[in-house]
Amino acid sequence: MPSASLVDWQTVRQGKLDAVDAHCAALFAVVPPPTLAEEALQGYVMLVSGHFQGFCRTLYTECAQVFAAALPAALKPTVQTQFSAGLMLNTGNPVVKNIREDFDRFGLSLDLVAADPANAGRITHLGHLNHWRNHSAHQKATPPPIGVPQVMVPADVRDWRASCDGIAGSLDGIM
Amino acid sequence: MAEQEGGTKFQVGNRVKILNSAFGTAEVVELRGPFGPQGAQVYRLRVRKKPRPAYIEVLEEQMELVPEG
Repeated sequence: MPSASLVDWQTVRQGKLDAVDAHCAALFAVVPPPTLAEEALQGYVMLVSGHFQGFCRTLYTECAQVFAAALPAALKPTVQTQFSAGLMLNTGNPVVKNIREDFDRFGLSLDLVAADPANAGRITHLGHLNHWRNHSAHQKATPPPIGVPQVMVPADVRDWRASCDGIAGSLDGIM
Repeated sequence: MAEQEGGTKFQVGNRVKILNSAFGTAEVVELRGPFGPQGAQVYRLRVRKKPRPAYIEVLEEQMELVPEG
């Protein structure tokens, strides 16, 4: 049975991203694309990263509450405080390092590639997504490093989003 | 306490007591949504603590509203 967080990701969050995708597609269908198309695409990449971070954070919360529910009432607040303290996903981007660091608190070693070999490529995509997320959010003028797409196009964002979806399914399965 | 729009009993800014805890008054800082067991609402609270505040996520059933004033 999927978590409530995965259902939320697949319905509410993906629905919102579908609408943004359609908006970008319409802008990029014009030749040449209007100036605002680039701005819209930068918004799209930040939203994909943000919603994926939201999914990860929510799944973590859901797991922590299930864990706490098994404890006597007097112990719950102490354990809930520990689960809430210093979470990387509360402030950091949803990069694999931050996801691992938070979910490892459940006493497992989060191995996304062992869960699904396709996650190796998805993790690379997640890195690209977050690179372009930062590039857009901070309006960096420096070119991306070698290996990261030098120019972001709508198809890139769709591929990165599909990879987030794959990782979301794996993360849900592991937890 | 009356249930508010969206199915939540508390809202951001409410001051609450966390039941079965030694914490003092806490403040609701985020409605996390129905992600507790059986769809229970989860809230993120800020608890006054030195040297810096602590944050805790609890279920609705663990909270009690502290009257203002």
